[in-house]
Amino acid sequence: MPHLSRRQFLQLSAGVSGSLLLPHVADAAGGEDFPLHKRVGELATICPYCSCGCGLVIATDEHGHISNVEGDPENPINRGILCPKSIAVRQLANSPLRLGKVKYRAPGSNQWEEKSWEWTIEEIAKRVRKARDESFVRTIKVNDKDVTVNRTEGIAWLGGAANNNEDCYLATKLMRALGVVYLEHQARL
Amino acid sequence: MSRYAMLIDETRCTGCRACQVACKQWNDLPGEQTRNRGTYTNPPALSAKTWSMIEFNEIETGDKVGFYFLKRGCMHCEHPACASVCLVGALHKTPDGPVVYDDSKCIGCRYCMSACPFGIPTFDWDRGLLNNALIRKCEFCVDRVSNGLIPACAKSCPSRVIAFGEREQLIAQAEARIEKNPNKYIKHIYGKDEVGGTSMLYLSSVPFDQLGLPALGTTPVTALSEQVMEYTVPFALAWGATLAGVAAVVRFRNRGKRIVENEKSET
Amino acid sequence: MTNDWVDLKNADVIFIIGANPASNHPASFSWINDTREHGAKLIVVDPAYTRSAATADVYAPIRPGTDIVFLGALINYAIQNKLYHEEYIKAYTNALTLISPDFKGPADLDGLFSGFDAEKKSYDTTTWKYQSEKVKDAAGNDISVPKQAVALDEPNTVFSILKKHYARYTPALVERICGTPQEKFLQVAKIFCATGAADKSGTILYAMGQTQHTVGTQNVRIMAMLQLLLGNIGIPGGGVNALRGESNVQGSTDFALLYQDLPGYLGAPTDRHPDFKTFAAKFDTTSYWINGPRFVVNLLKAWYGDAAKPENNYAYDYLPKTSGNYSWIPLFQAMGAGKIKGLFCMGMNPAVSGPNSRMERQSLANLDWLVVMDLFETETASFWRAPGTDPKNIQTEVFLLPALDAMEKVGSIVTSGRRIQWRPRVSAGPGEAQTDIWILDRLAQAIKKIYHGSPETRDLPIRDLTWFYGEGTDPDPEIVAREINGYALDDVKDASGAVILAKGALLPAFATIASAANYDAIACGNWLYAGYFAPADDGRGIWRPAARRRGQKDPGNLGLFPYWGFTWPANRHILYNRASARPDGSPWVENKKLIWWDAAQKKWTGYDVPDFVATKAPDAKAVIGGAGLAAQTGTDAFLMKADGKGWLFAPTGLSEGPLPEHYEPIESPVTNCLSGCNTNPVVKIWATNQDKPIGDKLGLCEQFPVICTTFRLGEHWQAGAMSRTLPWLAEIQPELFVMLGKDLAAARGITNGARAKIISARGEISAVAIVTARMKPLVIDGKQVHMVRIPWHWGWAGLATGDCVNDLTHHVGDANTMIPEYKAFLVDVRKT
Repeated sequence: MPHLSRRQFLQLSAGVSGSLLLPHVADAAGGEDFPLHKRVGELATICPYCSCGCGLVIATDEHGHISNVEGDPENPINRGILCPKSIAVRQLANSPLRLGKVKYRAPGSNQWEEKSWEWTIEEIAKRVRKARDESFVRTIKVNDKDVTVNRTEGIAWLGGAANNNEDCYLATKLMRALGVVYLEHQARL
Repeated sequence: MSRYAMLIDETRCTGCRACQVACKQWNDLPGEQTRNRGTYTNPPALSAKTWSMIEFNEIETGDKVGFYFLKRGCMHCEHPACASVCLVGALHKTPDGPVVYDDSKCIGCRYCMSACPFGIPTFDWDRGLLNNALIRKCEFCVDRVSNGLIPACAKSCPSRVIAFGEREQLIAQAEARIEKNPNKYIKHIYGKDEVGGTSMLYLSSVPFDQLGLPALGTTPVTALSEQVMEYTVPFALAWGATLAGVAAVVRFRNRGKRIVENEKSET
Repeated sequence: MTNDWVDLKNADVIFIIGANPASNHPASFSWINDTREHGAKLIVVDPAYTRSAATADVYAPIRPGTDIVFLGALINYAIQNKLYHEEYIKAYTNALTLISPDFKGPADLDGLFSGFDAEKKSYDTTTWKYQSEKVKDAAGNDISVPKQAVALDEPNTVFSILKKHYARYTPALVERICGTPQEKFLQVAKIFCATGAADKSGTILYAMGQTQHTVGTQNVRIMAMLQLLLGNIGIPGGGVNALRGESNVQGSTDFALLYQDLPGYLGAPTDRHPDFKTFAAKFDTTSYWINGPRFVVNLLKAWYGDAAKPENNYAYDYLPKTSGNYSWIPLFQAMGAGKIKGLFCMGMNPAVSGPNSRMERQSLANLDWLVVMDLFETETASFWRAPGTDPKNIQTEVFLLPALDAMEKVGSIVTSGRRIQWRPRVSAGPGEAQTDIWILDRLAQAIKKIYHGSPETRDLPIRDLTWFYGEGTDPDPEIVAREINGYALDDVKDASGAVILAKGALLPAFATIASAANYDAIACGNWLYAGYFAPADDGRGIWRPAARRRGQKDPGNLGLFPYWGFTWPANRHILYNRASARPDGSPWVENKKLIWWDAAQKKWTGYDVPDFVATKAPDAKAVIGGAGLAAQTGTDAFLMKADGKGWLFAPTGLSEGPLPEHYEPIESPVTNCLSGCNTNPVVKIWATNQDKPIGDKLGLCEQFPVICTTFRLGEHWQAGAMSRTLPWLAEIQPELFVMLGKDLAAARGITNGARAKIISARGEISAVAIVTARMKPLVIDGKQVHMVRIPWHWGWAGLATGDCVNDLTHHVGDANTMIPEYKAFLVDVRKT
């Protein structure tokens, strides 16, 4: 039985139907006690699926894995309600299909090989340099005048509407510094 | 009379199934392997792994089509037949309303399954008959309710279909809604009086039998089963036959419902 | 969204067209059902009887790709019945502005506008321009300003052009082209156009059902025009509200992960902008965009620090300049032609989501290398072992980088309603998975390292790039947030020399940039996000980074919740909210008052942050020749527009005309019965490998008589990586299906639950048939037309697997945005 105060229960239960419940909960046990079979949660965050931005309240187990997902009753957008996807965020975090290792597939190979981050980052950087340098255009002629265009058409970027603003910002910054112009993502579809 | 109930206003439901997944999430139930059978309804029926689900019903009237959604799960009867036929007291109704189940007492006889007029309790076939087999059904999130939280399905519902609260107040609320929108609702609160009353109360804009809820009388099924049990208890060997009798009564009562269900095009 | 999710509660009518929020944005329905409790009406217009339609007050069917006819007829209905908001449109829109007398429209030119060049497939827009007149400024110089009429019906006014143009869009035409029964259309018209009353508000909710068309931009335009006409923009319960699909697609767009933009919608420079001066000159000088060049300088200071200085035009040359269109379709065409060597995919699965995806997957094989950063092994990461593919023949190296999910990392996302919310890390991730910021940081450092010491000028943009996001091993998202928010590199002073932002302080709002004398002392990664990470009151006297606030106060009870998170721009919740008040500054109606002019205090006050100059009186006159907002009056409610008006007529900016006109989808079973111009005349048609099995092929209705429209389900998400992998979601929607009507199913011998083949000119897929009365054939111009509807989430990876529906779609995009026409193309269905 987790140590959540009655007050916390009230907060967490104040979902869509909360107003019906709240006046009566003070003596809700009704003579029989059924302890909660798991913790309800105390970590507030935002759902990663659609663009409503619903608030979630998460509980985690001793390994830090999600053990419960509730709607955040304080979040003004969803007031505690959720949809099937946002509730399933628990399985997203805990899926055995999630990737935990860098994988590399060599040309013509029919399988993945596990690699270290160090090797991978270095190898990608080398390929970026090669692709950029081989395709880089410093200037072009427009109406017989040299215009500095500083671009590479040899590298493209796609993504990511599921990423945080800060991820997107660093992506846009790094790619433009490289001269990438084939820069697109989900908003185009 | 139990204290709490849920008012399920199916005229507001959009079939998003937040309630269905919220139930699995809170109760730590696994996903079932399913296939698309020409309908959004999935899994096909309640099971030991699925205690609450939405059934999708497409109903055509002339050239008009309606798309209706039924939240199916334990009705938490005021006089639960399942509890009354349980030989070992594994099922009982708490004063708050939930009909709860005790794993440690169950002997896996499945009489409750035969007795339920709504066909709700399911058997956990995965565990096998001899391996501490279990009956499974919605327990009204009894642990949540007992701790001042509303049930997981009601908490999640985006379209404000499911209201949780005191039964008497919800009945008053349901009556007020019918009165305010007489053209929208069928003038009937399903579960208010069915089989002596249930903790699940439904409002609908289409007849309840079309939605998939059986047309039942107001007599508690327990009255029938208890009557039968009175005579048979001394004759332990005849239990099976007795319960088959109860089941027959229930089946008879449900016959109309099944015909309706079979005729309905699944969508 | 011009408004917010919570604001739906203020609407009297909710009009859903081209969206299915009951399924795909369920949280919206808690607000929609709330307001319906108080008598609001819900209208759903959709090709299918969807879950949103299931509880609607009015449902009207429509043929995919004919929204302009339906919405144009609503405009006509509002004008004919004088239901438009006259005072609003006279004050706040360009209804009274005079257009060149040389302008001619489709009513005169059989579907075309004046200025069409058939050879170039483009328009010369000279005749679409405003008439101008010369007025003298204070110094006696001639200044050109748009010429205004006094009455709406004068010749050449925007209003009279609009009236004439949409007079052709009658209820009978709606029935003939859209297949919507006239009485259904009239029901919708009566209910929705009633929101033209000053005390009523109506909102339009739309999604990809409007954008994924060759006339997608004009679909969105016409919704905005209808809302302007009814006075529904800028008010509580109104607006044009895009229900965006991904949790942060608003943010990724704000940060310009699109070739044609820079963060904050500053626009990417092209080869027509050889230097900073020409680039700066593209910004309007009579709107808030006068600050555009400053915002560009702030961005360059954020990216290049000390290397961005006045002497080198703030390193403007470092920015890549485009020549032409680099959007999705051209990108994959270039990849198909072998021009692109390497591709990064961050949380994107183009193998499933791209148009003509079979062709796009084939293009992936032309890459030398592919880097995928994702949670799962997506179809894109495993394209080399797609069904029917021999890995031996694919030489592409693939790096699959395990990323942490949203619960496992720190940062912010922004809702469709522009509300930015901060997420802490709440759970542990698997194995060696890392945050995207960590991956990008490592990559940037590695790239900087190999270019370190390079003598080449062209490598300066990398060498000079500022890149420091924390000591130690892990980059700190809060440092990134500070850079985005903006901060003072030195003391920032106003014109009087007073310090308005001390060195090192976070920018509280972009207004500081506008009023700074030395604005180049500010680094700001996205001006629209200025203030999002600066300390702000949460309404309880607790100060914390604005996006992290959890204050519950809601002044005015309008659902603005201004102390919860931070809503860009400047915590304004309803855009163009000057229009929520009458021209004289008083609210239109008491129960929807949002901001109003306080004559005693001489400022705008109210519940929302004014989207207007807070001290500009309603009767303020424009300063002739004034710079920026000085050139606008006290009733110019649209401060980002050069004339301060909401545009009922767009004199610039659109490829296919200043007014939306109906054209048939590129693949259609009928010809355009409105004009002789069948399809959007400026759409680009690609023709790669037309003669090969996989290529740019268009189908004809003789062979492919059925309209297909793709859609999304509430149970799955986008290309499926984050939903088809989850047992609870795989359980409730396990298999790809096709929805088809009973007549079509009977004609093809397809039974409910059996498998069917769907074939287009591009490809073929197999799906379970759902035979349903919720899909009905429509009668179009006397001809019965069938439709099918297919959710596109599936692929071969994950738990719930199925064919890629985009194998059916084509490389044809909107004339302005190049968004593919996923919502209306031709197929045939067969029994298998």
